[in-house]
Amino acid sequence: MHAAVATLGALAAFFALAGALGVWLMRDVYQKLHYLTLPCSISVWFLCAAMFVGEKQKQAGVKVVLISLVLFFMNAVVTQATARAAWVRKDGRWPPQKAPPPAPPEAAE
Amino acid sequence: MSAWLAGALALCAGLAPCAAVALRAQDVMERVVALEMASVLVTLALVMLAEAMQRTLFLDLALTQALLSFGGGLVFARFLERWV
Repeated sequence: MHAAVATLGALAAFFALAGALGVWLMRDVYQKLHYLTLPCSISVWFLCAAMFVGEKQKQAGVKVVLISLVLFFMNAVVTQATARAAWVRKDGRWPPQKAPPPAPPEAAE
Repeated sequence: MSAWLAGALALCAGLAPCAAVALRAQDVMERVVALEMASVLVTLALVMLAEAMQRTLFLDLALTQALLSFGGGLVFARFLERWV
């Protein structure tokens, strides 16, 4: 029981740390945004599993599930809003416009 | 040291890369991403600390942090998109 809780907690911490390192190492904002997914979509469920395995009180488990759901759904909304803000700051308009098709080559004389 | 406390300390160590990005990045949107990652890490660390100290009441702090970071992230994104 104790080993299972420690393993699940270690996995949660590992994925969260990997996300933090991804935010640090990636080059631009769009690449960094991908790494928010690791703690919000993977670590939280490992943490939930660890709580349900190791915790006797149901109230604590329900609260952790609530926190996990908030983080899980919050991540999608905040990531989309941040990516849109980054695009609008760079390009000045939303939604992104399609690039015009390339001009046809001149007919050979 | 319990496993929960070790996990909380590991998550707090994850704040260092976020702080480095938030302090040194050239683009302000990269700093916002680092701030969002830091808020998620703090939320998870609060959950682990609550379990390490056997105080389930502290889980309310983590829930409040998660909800406030959600609103804060949206406000930062919209504010930087329109006015800054």
